Amino acid sequence: MEAFIQPGFWIFVLALAGIYGIFSLGLQIQYGVGGIMNFGHVGMMAVSGYTIAVLVIKYEWSFWWAALAGVILAAFLGALLGLTTLRLSGDYFAIASIAFAEIVRYWILNTDNVTGGTQGTLAIPSPNGFASYTDKPDVILTWISDRLYPIIGDEASRDLSMVLIVWPFFGLFIWLSSRLQKTSWARVLRATREDDDVPRSLGKNVFRFRLQTLIIGSVFGGLAGVFWSVQFALLAPEDFLRIVTFYGWMILILAGATRVKGLFVAAIFFGFLYGATRFLEFWPLSLLSSPERAYLRVFLIGLVIVLLMVKRPQGLFGKRQEMILE
Amino acid sequence: METTKTLNSSVLDVRNISVSFGGVKPVQDVSFTIKENSFTSVIGPNGAGKTSLFNLLSGMNKVSSGEIIFMGEAIHSIHAHKIAQKGLVRTFQGAKVIRRLTVAENLMMAVKGNPGDNLLGFFNPRARKSFEVKAREEAMRRLDQVGLTKFADEYAGILSGGQRKLLDLSRALMADPKMLLLDEPFAGVNPTLVEKLLTVLAALRKEQSITFLLIEHDLETVMNISDRVIVMADGKIIADGLPKSIYENDLVIDAYLGSRRKDS
Amino acid sequence: MSDFIQYFFNGLVVGCIFAIAAVGISLLYSVLRLVNFAAGDFLTLGAFITYFLSVTLELNFLLSVVVSMIAGMAISWFLELVLWRNLRRNKAGTLALFLVATGVALMLRPIIQFIFGTETRKFNIDILKTYDFLGARIPQTQLLVLIFASASILTIALFIAKARIGKDMRAYANNPGLASVSGINVDRVVLATWLISGALGSLAGVFQGLVQGQFNNAMGESLLLSFFAAVVLGTIGDAYGALAGGLLLGLIMELSQLSIFFGGVPSNYKPVVAFATLVLVLLFKPEGIFGYRARKV
Repeated sequence: MEAFIQPGFWIFVLALAGIYGIFSLGLQIQYGVGGIMNFGHVGMMAVSGYTIAVLVIKYEWSFWWAALAGVILAAFLGALLGLTTLRLSGDYFAIASIAFAEIVRYWILNTDNVTGGTQGTLAIPSPNGFASYTDKPDVILTWISDRLYPIIGDEASRDLSMVLIVWPFFGLFIWLSSRLQKTSWARVLRATREDDDVPRSLGKNVFRFRLQTLIIGSVFGGLAGVFWSVQFALLAPEDFLRIVTFYGWMILILAGATRVKGLFVAAIFFGFLYGATRFLEFWPLSLLSSPERAYLRVFLIGLVIVLLMVKRPQGLFGKRQEMILE
Repeated sequence: METTKTLNSSVLDVRNISVSFGGVKPVQDVSFTIKENSFTSVIGPNGAGKTSLFNLLSGMNKVSSGEIIFMGEAIHSIHAHKIAQKGLVRTFQGAKVIRRLTVAENLMMAVKGNPGDNLLGFFNPRARKSFEVKAREEAMRRLDQVGLTKFADEYAGILSGGQRKLLDLSRALMADPKMLLLDEPFAGVNPTLVEKLLTVLAALRKEQSITFLLIEHDLETVMNISDRVIVMADGKIIADGLPKSIYENDLVIDAYLGSRRKDS
Repeated sequence: MSDFIQYFFNGLVVGCIFAIAAVGISLLYSVLRLVNFAAGDFLTLGAFITYFLSVTLELNFLLSVVVSMIAGMAISWFLELVLWRNLRRNKAGTLALFLVATGVALMLRPIIQFIFGTETRKFNIDILKTYDFLGARIPQTQLLVLIFASASILTIALFIAKARIGKDMRAYANNPGLASVSGINVDRVVLATWLISGALGSLAGVFQGLVQGQFNNAMGESLLLSFFAAVVLGTIGDAYGALAGGLLLGLIMELSQLSIFFGGVPSNYKPVVAFATLVLVLLFKPEGIFGYRARKV
């Protein structure tokens, strides 16, 4: 119970919520506006995170340029996924997108000399002989921490610094995205979500609209990867399993697929679920070992997804009417 | 675009088009020419290939052979959305509306050249907004024309079948068509509304010099408004002429009765 | 040559397992339009239940397999009653079906881990005994799996072709509207589909456990996409296609390691061969090898 009232716990929850909220924002524009069911979203986060790690460690780039390259590469991957498979109908695309992300993960897993393979970014060969990655993204966190020192009179934690970076961005991205969703561009996309033929018969290049959405969503996936790599510093292939995509989906359907601002609340709920199954120590959680807690987390996420789809498919903030008209 | 208005210039020229899907041939060697500002009806029994013909004309399916020329340009191998942009706009059998957009949004979506449709337009909010205001005005004018004003801000999903037909037609008009392909606009619509629709179409023809090609199941409905009727059966044109001559054509009567015999 | 025989044999064994798992997925898709993301975890479950009965409780192995198949059926039936039936009644969309199937998979996995633990397990069967066949090394377990699995495949094919319920399933899959007005009991068809896919899931899990020699709780999940590849390869929704697609995919995956193909694909890239097959089929022939459905433009 103690952890529950500690600010440190809630700060961790918020940091995680910001990162996965941005991740989920990518799915929101893809599905909530364009009706695209992307189940390989984790691939974008993996590509961006790993690009940063490899460029910083192996090629000694500055973190900023590496982050930019990571996001661009995620966008590029989204374009590649779209150009190859976006003409497929919904369920086929969903399956293809999973395969796409799994190919990315297997490549990371089996290309030891670039990505560090199973050992993760710790094993990326560096010109200095050892991986000196963590200190580079830490520069940002330390900078924040130093600025906070006079205010809180103590050294700010890593998580707190992260919250102060990621939340303004999360807010900014949500604001931008909700602006974008009020344009006529988004209106055409909403039409394609229901029926391709109508917008096509009115002169709209449906494929172009879809591809653009997929790329924008992938950029958010890539941005989430940037924050992810700052927060955790070490990346390993098992951080980018298929299930991570469904973390994003859980946040999205909890908020309601068309409710972009609902992501704030849903992301915090996810952060809480994640943090609680990791740190909270009251009964009956205290009976579980750390790996058992990890299963519990997976189980709860599965449960939330199933319950939502059965009991409240429109999510916390969605309109029932939109679902009925579907 | 300014076109000289000679009554005889052709808008659409269909030359020997055929299509086949895995052995089935819904359209076989069909040719006809549509004159500017004319009103032509395509009739025929179920399965005659009328909708398949429309799918070819609008580019939703591609021809297996033959050519389609629209305003002097070959359109049979270009994308459907480009055909629509050139001014050949279609509606759908059973009126497809986007249920989760409002009625006004359904119409506003159709406007051509919207800077907001382009992602770059996002960075030019002023141009976007002034275009939206204009689009909304035009949408409201169209809705007024067909008596749907009071539904403007309701989800289109709540409209009745007849109202959806009106919405579908109005939406096609928002796309600034030179020629309209209407797929069974009167099917399932009550007779009063049919009369109203016919008046709207006649007015459009006169005021905006739109050319019409229309699919209809029932010859009687389009007798008066059409200046030409094309009859299809089993993927081919079996008769083509003035409505009156078609009405008395034995072949046509055979095709209808024949198909009924096959159905039962 | 002996390499070829070795990989061909391996491919047949793996392919038979893929075929059995894929036909369950394909039947579910054709009858319920459901892409069963939980199919992989049903394999794991089947293998662990069989392990528990035959190793922990020291029951007869064949009996254990049968019981685990019944357990697979029971769980599938239970989920139909509490979940899928309600979703169909609520006219749940594609996304809802996808996510619920995934959610079931996410719940099933921890349950298996919680009950049976995370340790690597193996069946009480001598996995070391091998036969020599034209220079290829044929383990006894694989030979047994090949024999039993091909018998199962034949049984499934015959069942779908000849049994009354099998015919009903095909009729319903082809035209649900027509089938339900022509006197086919839809609830029975749906139930039969779940029971078959549940039983086949367990069976494939046991076979896979035998072939691997040892297995852990990630076994089925890691194979899921390969099954999808088999289903798509054999035309999604076509039961015979899934059988053929499974066999073909198994052969492709194993034979890709032959040195004539770019010096041979390294064995740790075998799953990538399956994913790539999946993506390539979706790109160039999304209707599968037996399909003729017009491609969506």
